[in-house]
Amino acid sequence: MWTEWQRWLAQLHQVASDFLAPLGPAHPLVILALNLICFWVGVKIYRRLGNPLLHPVVGASLLVFAGLVLLSVDFASYQRGSGLLNLLLGPAVVALAIPLKQNLAVVRKVGWPLMLGLMVGAVLAPLVAVVIALLLGGSKTVLIALTTKSVTTPVALALAQEMHGIQSLAAGVVAFTGIVGAVCGPGLLRWLKITDERVVGFSMGINAHAIGTVRALEISALCGAFSALAMGLCGALTALLLPLFVTT
Amino acid sequence: MCGRRSANTEPLPAMALATKPLRWLVGAGLLLAFDLAGRSLSAAFALPVPGPVLGMLLLLLSLMLYGGVPRGLAEVAGQLLRFLVLILLPATVGIYFLRDLSGGDWVALVIAMVVGTLISFTLTGILLNRLIRRVGDTQGENIRVD
Repeated sequence: MWTEWQRWLAQLHQVASDFLAPLGPAHPLVILALNLICFWVGVKIYRRLGNPLLHPVVGASLLVFAGLVLLSVDFASYQRGSGLLNLLLGPAVVALAIPLKQNLAVVRKVGWPLMLGLMVGAVLAPLVAVVIALLLGGSKTVLIALTTKSVTTPVALALAQEMHGIQSLAAGVVAFTGIVGAVCGPGLLRWLKITDERVVGFSMGINAHAIGTVRALEISALCGAFSALAMGLCGALTALLLPLFVTT
Repeated sequence: MCGRRSANTEPLPAMALATKPLRWLVGAGLLLAFDLAGRSLSAAFALPVPGPVLGMLLLLLSLMLYGGVPRGLAEVAGQLLRFLVLILLPATVGIYFLRDLSGGDWVALVIAMVVGTLISFTLTGILLNRLIRRVGDTQGENIRVD
């Protein structure tokens, strides 16, 4: 118990002391402002145009990238500058328990088919991607990065570390998968004549993790709850099973 | 303004009298406590499950036992989830900084991500739809295939 507290306090201390550093383009205040402004503008653009391709995940991250190029800040400094946001990653994952609890009655009603679907989905999502990459002759680095593609970012980062993969590649793959799922998912299911919000939400959570959950929450609270449930369970299941398979 | 002492031996009246900032503080504290509890548990037993995920499951279990969601916790969590895109932004931006891969790897990666996601999305969607309908629950679905 204590070591984790100490690690957290050390992280907090690190973030606080970074704020005291001399002002420059990589100063946390600059990065924080950049993040906030890009997020705000990204949300505004998305609300104005309503095009899923311009989801804040895409728009805001592109704006941040443009900002970083303009300020000539590298990724490592940007990550360090974003320490305050990274501190919120853990609590944000924990917070997903609340929409779950609030919709538990609905979730319970359709319990076993969901669990079965989850098991199949959790295995299927990385498997399909890995097989495709294997057929195209992707390297081992690529294959490992793809195994965590449908898992929420904090989980994927932890898994990448465990399997000696590249963390930034894992994060990139997760983000890209989430964007593809969030952008195309609802339309794809509508095209397949699947309109049940519970199914849409659950598929989003399995295949597009947190980014899909954000999108699902926009559709409805019920959809978001199912997405959050699927994301949480899929993350836990993958985190349990994957290290058993990939031990090379 | 609020000269009332917040320290109270009885938990329920204290919760009722709690002002908004205090309620939020309790909510945020709970999230952090469960995050750290999950991490500690994961580390202590060398579990492959990441700490925050374990923390989420622990919180869910606790809320089920408690039988409700404390107001402050619900409010803080709601705010946090509204800003999930912002919180995930630093990790998302990483995709533009991947340069240590060969061209062929890039092609394989992008195709696998796009095609793979669409395929698994389709399959899970169809599977879940079938399974959920088999339960005989007609609520919220009016699917007609002509």
